[in-house]
Amino acid sequence: MILLQLKSLNKTFNNFCALSDIDFSLSEGEIVGLVGPNGAGKTTLFNLICGRYRPSSGNILFKGIDITNLKPHEICRLGISRTFQSSRPFPRMSAMQNVLVGHIFGKGFSLHACPEDRQMAKELLEIVGIAHKADTPAGQLTLSEQRRLDLARALATRPKLLLLDEVAAGFSPVLVKQAIQLVNRVRERGVSLLIIDHFLNLSLKVSDRLLALDHGEKIAEGPPHMVMRNRDVLQAYLGLRHQDEEDD
Amino acid sequence: MIQSTSKKTVQYDDKWGITTDKTSLFLGLLALITLPLLVQTNDYILQVFTHALLLASLALAWNFLGISGSISLGHAAFFGVGAYGSALLSLEQGLSPWLTIPMAGLFATGLGLMVGLICLRLRGAYFALATLAFVEIPRVITDNWDALTRGSLGLVGISGLPTLRMGAWHVDFGSSITASYYLVFAYFVILLGLVTFVFRSNMGLALQAIREEEIAAEAVGIHVNRYRLLSLLMSAFFTGVSGACYAHLVRYIEPGLVYGLHFSAVPMIFAICGGRFTILGPAVAALVLYPVDQFIFHPLLPAGHEFLYGAVLILTMLFMPNGFWGRLRNA
Repeated sequence: MILLQLKSLNKTFNNFCALSDIDFSLSEGEIVGLVGPNGAGKTTLFNLICGRYRPSSGNILFKGIDITNLKPHEICRLGISRTFQSSRPFPRMSAMQNVLVGHIFGKGFSLHACPEDRQMAKELLEIVGIAHKADTPAGQLTLSEQRRLDLARALATRPKLLLLDEVAAGFSPVLVKQAIQLVNRVRERGVSLLIIDHFLNLSLKVSDRLLALDHGEKIAEGPPHMVMRNRDVLQAYLGLRHQDEEDD
Repeated sequence: MIQSTSKKTVQYDDKWGITTDKTSLFLGLLALITLPLLVQTNDYILQVFTHALLLASLALAWNFLGISGSISLGHAAFFGVGAYGSALLSLEQGLSPWLTIPMAGLFATGLGLMVGLICLRLRGAYFALATLAFVEIPRVITDNWDALTRGSLGLVGISGLPTLRMGAWHVDFGSSITASYYLVFAYFVILLGLVTFVFRSNMGLALQAIREEEIAAEAVGIHVNRYRLLSLLMSAFFTGVSGACYAHLVRYIEPGLVYGLHFSAVPMIFAICGGRFTILGPAVAALVLYPVDQFIFHPLLPAGHEFLYGAVLILTMLFMPNGFWGRLRNA
């Protein structure tokens, strides 16, 4: 079943075309890596899906519902959640509270927190491996812990689709390995994923498919090994000279 | 892999340092209840503390909005509308202050709705400046609508605080300073209870999340604009009620006074000095700073005693950005 569908999506800022004519669809249970060099439009695409930006034209469908003009909180309640490129915790609130916010508001409003909420939050903190920091203000966590917290908070909203923005950027090989396990655990919970991965250290290992963007255009789509051999993708990442050498 | 950094972590409990708060709340309220018995012979002290309690309520009301991260420099608009609304209704229509005081709160809420729809799309300094400018609208109207408000002459002879009757038993809150003190005290306690409830509810959680990181807050399903508006409306309502209490307490108001910078600045100063991320901070600051100002600095410097507020504000922002109550609780 198709979960997310983008139909000829365009986004221009003033006269700059950030995304042009993107068609794409993601099925339930799938993990898709979104790759491309700096400025390719990856984060812009996330912001469109999450409702932070309105597309200039085109449509976004989620579970068959047109979400093109919905607000971020409405889209979250429908079941799309995200993490941020530079994580955005609520710094003066404890890690536990950060996750609780996601749990309490992720599916609309509930007036009073119940004990199950805390149990749930605790569980999520355990999954991402920072349960021992539950009472620490999020602003005092390390960068890697903040990314995990971002992920736990996003999961707390009980999404069907999770958008991860550069979740493993700058991670050491050990951390990347842990991130891979984490992604697989998330998938086991029945969540589909779209993963932005500029440096390809995560998506090559976990993705079913890759979507490659360059200068706002889709340049390739398909299984990881195919996309990575694609001429346009190589050119976008490595430049023309490399390609010429390949041709020789 | 998780490096357990031995950095000194501030212990943060979910519920805003409850133990510190509980003890000091108990002692503070006890002191405030017994105050009239201790200073029986000295009306001046009691009068100062009545005003301190009213200003504490004002600071608490201000912090309904403050907790969501917005800084208002224009709460005098709500204060003035509340004061004039209640005073005029009781003067012209002869209504009981029991009725006019909450109605004044509703007038202020109406104004809050206007401010909200126009200004809440702004953030940070832009929002603060817009509220500062907004005060001028009700002030100019009050100042010039002579037929209704008697313009800059102000209103005199406003009825005092009302009488509470229960069968044969009654207590006239306007009759003595002690009675007025207890009425304002009761209002303060109710407001404090309400602030505590809201801050600890899920709404409080949402408002804090919005303050901390708005983009993340909306991304996890919080209807940011709705909560910001709601907090502004509550803030406006209780600021209006405080203004109405002020009118019936002092029994004389004029536009320059109730719409003055004083009533915009003072709740903000108390909230920031006390700690706008805490429940009690703003109230504690009002109950400490105002008496200090009146008892110590006013006799020393009759003309410029209010420099105290400016000085304390600057010092807190430099050395205790979370306010002294916020600092104490995490010490």
